[in-house]
Formats: sequence, structure tokens, C-alpha cells
Amino acid sequence: MSELLLDTSIRAWVFLPIVIISFLFGILRHYVSILISSTKNIELHQVQDSQLLIRSRFLRENGKYIPKQSFLMRRHYLNNEETGYLKAGSRRPAQAPNPMSDPSMMTDMLKGNLTNVLPMILIGGWINWTFSGFVCTKVPFPLTLRFKPMLQRGIELMSLDASWVSSASWYFLNVFGLRSIYTLVLGENNAADQTRMMQDQMSGAAMAMPPDPKQAFKAEWEALEISNHQWALKNIENDFIGEKSNNQEVTPTS
Amino acid sequence: MPTEISQSETDPSSSSSSLRQQRQHQPAGRRIGFDEAREILQKWREENARCPEKVRDLWIHCLSKCKSLGDERWLIVEQVAMAGMDLHDTSLIKECLSILESKFPKSSRVRRLKVMANVEMRERYEEALKTYDAMIKKDEANSILYKRKIAILIAQKRTPEIIKELSEYLKKFMNDTEAWLELCDVYIQDQAYSKAAFCMEELIITNPHNHLYHQRFAEIQYTIGTTESLELARSYFAQAVKLNPSNLRALYGLQLTAYTLSNQPRTVSQKKKENAKISAWATTQITKLYQESNEKSLPVVESMMANLQL
Repeated sequence: MSELLLDTSIRAWVFLPIVIISFLFGILRHYVSILISSTKNIELHQVQDSQLLIRSRFLRENGKYIPKQSFLMRRHYLNNEETGYLKAGSRRPAQAPNPMSDPSMMTDMLKGNLTNVLPMILIGGWINWTFSGFVCTKVPFPLTLRFKPMLQRGIELMSLDASWVSSASWYFLNVFGLRSIYTLVLGENNAADQTRMMQDQMSGAAMAMPPDPKQAFKAEWEALEISNHQWALKNIENDFIGEKSNNQEVTPTS
Repeated sequence: MPTEISQSETDPSSSSSSLRQQRQHQPAGRRIGFDEAREILQKWREENARCPEKVRDLWIHCLSKCKSLGDERWLIVEQVAMAGMDLHDTSLIKECLSILESKFPKSSRVRRLKVMANVEMRERYEEALKTYDAMIKKDEANSILYKRKIAILIAQKRTPEIIKELSEYLKKFMNDTEAWLELCDVYIQDQAYSKAAFCMEELIITNPHNHLYHQRFAEIQYTIGTTESLELARSYFAQAVKLNPSNLRALYGLQLTAYTLSNQPRTVSQKKKENAKISAWATTQITKLYQESNEKSLPVVESMMANLQL
């Protein structure tokens, strides 16, 4: 296939404007989201619950390093039938996180949409409309045909080599590829990054809603209930004096 | 001077040795470069090290005029403000706080610093406690505010209240190792050894690979001193030695516990023998360690050992 020669005005009026628009738009988004974002206050019982779950996990994993008596005492505290924290926690009435009942949640969702989804659609649509149908640039390596729908959105030419990039695809490449530039310009954890937003959307509803503590408590309760105590320090001194650990030493916990 | 909840729960010997290194490569008179100063401060922030004089020097000589710090600047200013409180350097505190306040006018963190500087430092403790209570009401998941309250109680040496507040705090923030360690210290001061042992167990659970926790637990058990707790102490000293074979304190502990156990009346002769063996093993290890590090002190150690044995 003969080499294509692109008009230089494509570079000046399509290629560069797309880069600049998507970059500036990212910056703008960053500042807008700073402007309207609200700091979330964590509630005390959430902290307490999560800390408790971590502690319980520690107890399961490292409980073998403390004497049996202490292990059993802690397990009883967490697990006993009447007052055990995990038991009580799993019996606690589940507060269904209803977005309608919590107005702050609604506004958060609205703000998220306002800064993420809406502009994405608008700008994407506008770019598609304004700059559609251009062959913009070429990636400097050969690609297989399967890349055609990815790199040549908006251009349905069977004969065109797959390494040519159309303007609409160039916009998407920019949106996802500018991340490190944003980090450079705006610092870490900036809000301009579309890819992170996309990831959030992928993991979707599970992230948005706090995980149900009741389920977590129940699982932890079961795991702790079946965990046994094998004292890791039993006969440890005998390693030093080189005796077999199967002799009849009676440690205080066995 | 505001008291800080215990400084670093990690290996204290390592952090102090690194500080010593810091001191070594900044001889007097040499100007420290900007990047170096920044790195040193960052390190101290991470380690919770407190060397207020040096922080102040670094700030005055290297960093105060610099504008290119970016967001790190605010952290450094906060650190310098704390250093100023340690030194009772009111002009420095004022400077730092005004920088911070002009940047973050509504921040509760700056407000906390202001309370520390204006109320706590002047030892108007009751007023500070009230302010913190009010702040906690607004932001009840902020652990630092609770810690400030406890720190005030520690400064006033009100032990029963310290214990009460710390346990309340630990009910809310169960994985705060610093607080567990602090509570353990308070219980030891109060001679409530079994309770202190509970705190140490909690720490061992969170990090079973820290030999110092094992050693500390063993020391507490050794102090309790019944046969059972001595046996526990022996096991935990052994674990500490296993985790760090050059832990001399644990070796001494192992030697002493095993020796005491071997001399206990009413024990089976086989166990007596075993304990004697362990004690002998620990003794040889101790001598070996001294041999490796310092030949001169060896005779002293040996005579001391002989004294201990009899």
C-alpha cells in the first residue's frame, strides 16, 4: 500500500487542538472538582467497626503467639453468644443505605456525575462532531487488523493500514494517556485523571456503598469460631539446647 | 510543654542509631543543602523523632525563605511549630501559625495547633480539655484529638484518669499500637502487671515479628514472678532471642528465668535439668556476644555471671 501523506493543517487544526483541549479540560476538571467537593466526615462507629475487624483478623492470624488463656479470652470477648462484639454486630439491624434518605449521599452522587460523566459525554460528543473523519497520526509500529476499531473510530476504510489513528480515537488515547502529565503538573492524587474515574465506575456500586458491616461481622465471627490455638512458642527453648521437642515438657498452657 | 504520646513504637535502637548518623554527617558550621534539610525533616516526621533545636536550625537556615517546597511546605511548617512548642519559642510559633492560618483558615488541624500553643503550653489544662471536647463533638472520628486529651492527663500525672481515658480510646481505635504501648507503660508504673501483660499481648498480635514486644512481655511475666509466669517469661525471652539472636537483654532474661526456674523447689528433676541447660546455653551466648564486640569487658561479665549463679 502506498504511503499516505497527511496535510500539515491536519496537524495544526486537528492533532494539536485535540491534545490541548483534552489537557486543558483535565486541568479545568481538577479545579472544578476541588471547588465543589465536600470532605466526608467519617463516623465513629464505622471506624470502630473496621478497627474491630482488623483486630479480629490479627487475632486469627497471630493468636498463636500469645498464651492460650489470652487467646481464648479475646475470642470470648469477640465471639460469645450474648455480648460478643461480633455477634452483637451481626445482630445489629442492618441500616440499608438508602440514597434517598441521605441527602448528602445524593449530592455527592450528583457532584460525581457533574464532574465526571457529564463533561466526558459532552466533550467527547463535541470532539466527535467537530473533528470527525480525520486521519490524524500514525503509530510507528505495525498493528493487526483487530486494532482497527480501537484506533480508527469514525473511519470505516477497509484498506487503511491499522496503524493509522483517527481523530476520535486520538482523543480517547489522550484522555487515558495524559495521566502522568497531570501528575507532573497538578501533583499526585489529582482529580483530572479520567482513568481512575473509569476504574471507580467499573468496580461500581460496591465501592459507592459502604460494605454491609453485618455480613463482614458474620464472616469474621465464623472464621474466628473455627480458628484453633496452636501455641507457636511451645518448646521453643528446646531448640536452643538441641533437644527433640516431643519430650514430655508440660507448658503452662497445654 | 505539651506531652506527646510515646514516640515510635518501632525498634527504638534503630531510629536512635539513624539519628546518630544524621548528627555525624552534619558537622558544625557546614551549611546543609536545601534538599538535604528537607529529607532530614521528612525522616523525622515519619519516625516521630523530636529534636526541636535541630528542626528550628534547619528551618531558620535552610527552609524558611524557600518557596519551592510545594505542598510539603505546610507539613514542614507544622513540624516547626511543634518544635517551637517544645522550645517555648513564642516568636517561632507565631510565625508558623500565621503562615498556616492564612493558608487554611478553617482547618481543625490548625485550630488544634493553636490550642496546643496558646492553651496547653501555658498549662491551662482544664481549658484545653474543654476545647478539645468541643472539637471532638464536631469531628468524633479524629483520633488525634483524643490523644491530645490523654497527653494532657499524662502531663498532669493523673494516672487513674489516664487509664480510664486510654481504655475508652482503645475501645474506639483498637489498632492504635502507640496507645496500647502507652497504656502498658502506665499499668507498669501502677504495678498492675497482668493488665500490662494484656496490652503487650495485644501488641504481639499486631506484630509478632518484633522481638522487643516479646522481650517486654517476658519481662512483665518475669516481674509477676509465679512459677507459671516464669515459664511463660522463659518462652517469650526465647522467642525474642530467636527473632534477634543479638538481643542481649532477652538473653540475660532467658538466663535469669531459666536459672530461677531450675532452682525452684517442687519441680521435677528433669525440668530442673532442662532449665539448667537453657541457662547455661544463654550464658555461653552472652559471653560469645561480649567476645565479639569487646574483649576488655569479658572478665567483668564473667565475674558478674559467677555472682548471678550463686
